[in-house]
Amino acid sequence: MSFPGRAAAIVGVYTTEQARFLDRSSFSLQLEAMKGAVADAGLTLSDIDGLVSYDRTAYNKAPWPEMFWATQLGGRPLTLGEPGQPTPGVAKAAMAISAGMCNVAVVFWGKAGWKLGPGGTPVPEKAPRVSEWSYELFGGGYAHFYALWAQRYMHEFGVDSEDLAQVAVTHRYHATLNPESVMGARGPVTVDDVVNSRMICSPLHLLDCALDTDGGYAMVVAGADVARDCRRKPVWILGGAEAVHTDCYVTIDDPWFPEEGQSVRRAAEISFGQAGVTRDDIDVAGLYDCFTVTMLRDLEELGFCKVGEGAEFFREGHTRLGGSMPCNTDGGLLSNSHNGMPHGMHTIEVVRQLRGECGTRQVPNAKIGLSLAQGASVHGYAGTLIMAAD
Amino acid sequence: MPDVQTAASPYLKPLPDVSSLNRPFWESLKRHEFRVPKCADCGDYNWVPYPACRSCQSEHQEWTVVSGDATVFSFTVVHRGPGAFNADVPYVMALGQLVEQPRRCNVLANLVRVDPDDVRIGLPIKIGYLEIPGEDVTMYRWLPR
Repeated sequence: MSFPGRAAAIVGVYTTEQARFLDRSSFSLQLEAMKGAVADAGLTLSDIDGLVSYDRTAYNKAPWPEMFWATQLGGRPLTLGEPGQPTPGVAKAAMAISAGMCNVAVVFWGKAGWKLGPGGTPVPEKAPRVSEWSYELFGGGYAHFYALWAQRYMHEFGVDSEDLAQVAVTHRYHATLNPESVMGARGPVTVDDVVNSRMICSPLHLLDCALDTDGGYAMVVAGADVARDCRRKPVWILGGAEAVHTDCYVTIDDPWFPEEGQSVRRAAEISFGQAGVTRDDIDVAGLYDCFTVTMLRDLEELGFCKVGEGAEFFREGHTRLGGSMPCNTDGGLLSNSHNGMPHGMHTIEVVRQLRGECGTRQVPNAKIGLSLAQGASVHGYAGTLIMAAD
Repeated sequence: MPDVQTAASPYLKPLPDVSSLNRPFWESLKRHEFRVPKCADCGDYNWVPYPACRSCQSEHQEWTVVSGDATVFSFTVVHRGPGAFNADVPYVMALGQLVEQPRRCNVLANLVRVDPDDVRIGLPIKIGYLEIPGEDVTMYRWLPR
């Protein structure tokens, strides 16, 4: 059994404006992103016949957003309706295309009008009722789960706040080279800036945490026959996988950091196997950096270094522009944008690198790229994608 | 003796939407007992409660009283909280690992009556109960042991 490597490519990408607040609807951002991505490919909306839709809410509350979009896009049959994460979603679109299910799929997301974090939520008039095991009972949110994770990680492996802070420093440096980023214009930060930024939930300071912004993005995936006639250099899909081992933010079983890894490790092993490349072959990567600690754990779980050695590996500079495998060259979730379900943003930056479009932040001769998405219980739900340009 | 306190009124923090499956747990809290599903087939404890045992998928689990004793497995001191919690900052969320074996249970709750600066992994803790005036549910929390 093998993945249909190079049967399909990412032929168009688009990111909307990313900002703390956009006076737009989520739908409008999604539509703008779809239009932008097909235009980038030299295609039109009427070429789309497959959807990978991460946003499961739908106008008219249809149970499947494909139904809403089928009508919204004009009533042509859409022959792929794939839910789930954008990152492995690209690989699944490639498989569907190679199996003849559809020809041109769009993977998309957009969000405005709600925030991930708890900041400024009003005091209710009555105790609200929430799910029985929810962290909301105890005043938590996503950040708090990552904080519990970081606290335990630092305890088990002797890692400190300065070790985490270097991730924020590097990703902010990258953002300063990305004029589209939300934070780049503010300039670089130092380790001291990070550890002195206000504590949100220990051990995570403000600058250890991703942004909480509005924005959208889309990627268009098409078969080789279509790809060769598109406007841009095709970015071929070599492999992709997803894995989930835990429920959403209710429990993390002990041990938390097994040597053999968990979902991220499993998805990585599958993808490297499909693609027939090694970790040394990766020229550029986009790794999910919702918090500084996540980046270090990503590197460990992906197998670039051993569990517990992420900080040391990061300190060696491999992931900084100029290093052997620059990562998150757009600034990542920490300094570019975190627009709710931002998983596709990392893939899009890798695509732009592989096409040679990244200007002052271009990785020279980038040919093979990797993106990683994860979430929902700290590495509990992971997706990987390996791509290559000719 | 179980530690029982009454919350200030009105209580405006989130409370659980009690399901019929898990009602025995929440009813036990009102009697100041902490009950964890224990599998009648393989003997494992299961936390967070699930409809079937997570080790062997048997549906024969029994709500079993535990000692309430635990140690801090991890924690976070929160400086910015949602809704009514924000008035309590800094407050502590802690995962307490129950002393009961074999399957290790990490129970999330607020850790109270300790200075946040004194919280550390390994700190001995125990379950306490918080009665909520005007609501039909009792909450649980961690206290230093």
